[in-house]
Order: sequence, then structure tokens, then C-alpha cells
Amino acid sequence: MDWQGQKRAEMLMQVLLVAAAVAAFLVGYLRGDFQLMLLVYAGGVVLTALVTVPNWPFFNRNPLKWLDADEAERHPRPQVTAAGAAAGGKKKSGKNK
Amino acid sequence: MHSWTQRLLAAATTAVVLLAAVCAAASALDAFHVPAVQAQAHVTKINRFHKQINGNNKVTLTFNLSANLESVFTWNTKQVFVFLTAEYENAKNSLNQISLWDYIIPDKEHANLQVVAKSKYPLIDQGSSLRGKKVQFVLHWYVMPNAGAMIQDRMALSEFKLPDAYTS
Repeated sequence: MDWQGQKRAEMLMQVLLVAAAVAAFLVGYLRGDFQLMLLVYAGGVVLTALVTVPNWPFFNRNPLKWLDADEAERHPRPQVTAAGAAAGGKKKSGKNK
Repeated sequence: MHSWTQRLLAAATTAVVLLAAVCAAASALDAFHVPAVQAQAHVTKINRFHKQINGNNKVTLTFNLSANLESVFTWNTKQVFVFLTAEYENAKNSLNQISLWDYIIPDKEHANLQVVAKSKYPLIDQGSSLRGKKVQFVLHWYVMPNAGAMIQDRMALSEFKLPDAYTS
């Protein structure tokens, strides 16, 4: 998913869940059936999960432009000089090289 | 949210919070519900009235009870526990309350009670103060909701007088 997609997914999740809760309450109240309310709500929750959790293509409409491998090699990581390493060696050890 | 696990967790948490809100709403609506219970109880027979070896009076009786608790039920009611007590006063206690019979009403269809029964639990006094005693029937009911706090209520019914002498 891209950043826009993540924002959409979160918004959809909240809207769908609130809608499911409201719909479930109304159905349950009008039919006088508490269990029906819980079933409708459970259905709404499952639907919401199916729509927002998996990495659907429509969440990836603004894809990020990752740097490809050849381009990355042409810009290597800056190397630390020997003098600098001696002075700041204690701090650097233990971190990823 | 970056991974599907994070989205799943967020959805699950939101779903549970909204479920709590929905149940709270259902429970809150119950505050506007006003039940109207009709009930009557009468003693048909005193089966046995004697003094036990330990000195306590014991009474078993047969009664008929008609009680309509249909209006107590809402869509948020799981069951209603109803019981009939015999209440009286004596020199030792200002209130003696003995449960004679109880029943669990699972739904509205079973809420119109017409019962002719022998007392499920005997009326046993602490001591022997029951001869000629005036006793009152009181119907109690506890409403247990699907969501929310339990509600207790009671209704005083008719009085009856126990015999002046032991029957057996």
C-alpha cells in the first residue's frame, strides 16, 4: 500500500465500523432482538476487515517511486575516514556497519 | 498503517469500542421503560405446621400465584428471576423474610405465570413465634439484562394468618 492508500484504508475502516454499529443498533431495536443486533454488527465487522485489511490494488494507486538497484549502486553510502573512526570508534561499535 | 497486521489490530480495537458503545446505548434506553406488573397470591392449604426438635417452627403450605410479568421484558432482557417470600415480624426481628418459591423466566412468552404449587422451600422460623402470626406474601423479581445493570423490584401481595395451634 502507498501513503494515500493507507489514509484511505484507515478512513474506510472507521466509517464502515460506525455505519455497521448504527445499522446494527437500529435493526436490533426495531425488531426487538438483541441477538440480531449482535449478528448484524459481526457481519459488518467482517465486511470491514475484508475491505480494509488486505493489500488491495485500489489502495496502491499512487505508488511510491523506489530507487532501482543500478541507480543505488552509483551513489554509494558515505564511508567513515580512519581518523574519524578512531575518535568516534567507541560510539560506533555495536551499530550496523 | 503500514502492515496488514497493524490494520487488523486497529480494526479489531475500534470494533470492540463500538460494540461497547452499542451495548451502552441499548442499556440506556431501558431507563425509559416502565413496567406494569399485576400479581395475586393466596394460600390454599397449610400442609404441615409443627415445631422441630431444635425448637424452630416449620410450615409447608400450598398456594396459588398468578403474576403477569410480560411488561417487565424489553429487547435487552436476558431473563427474569422471580421469587415469592413470606414476610412477618416477631419479637426477635423486625423483618423476617423467607423465600418459599422461585422460578427463572427465560422470555416474554413464559412471563404470564399461573402457578398452583406446594412451597419449594419450607417456611422455617428462628424460634417458635409463628402460631397465629400474620404473614404477608411479597413477590420479588430481578431483571437480568443482556447489557447493563440488574434491576430489582418487589410487590406486596395479600396477607394470611397462620393457625393458632400446630397442625401435626
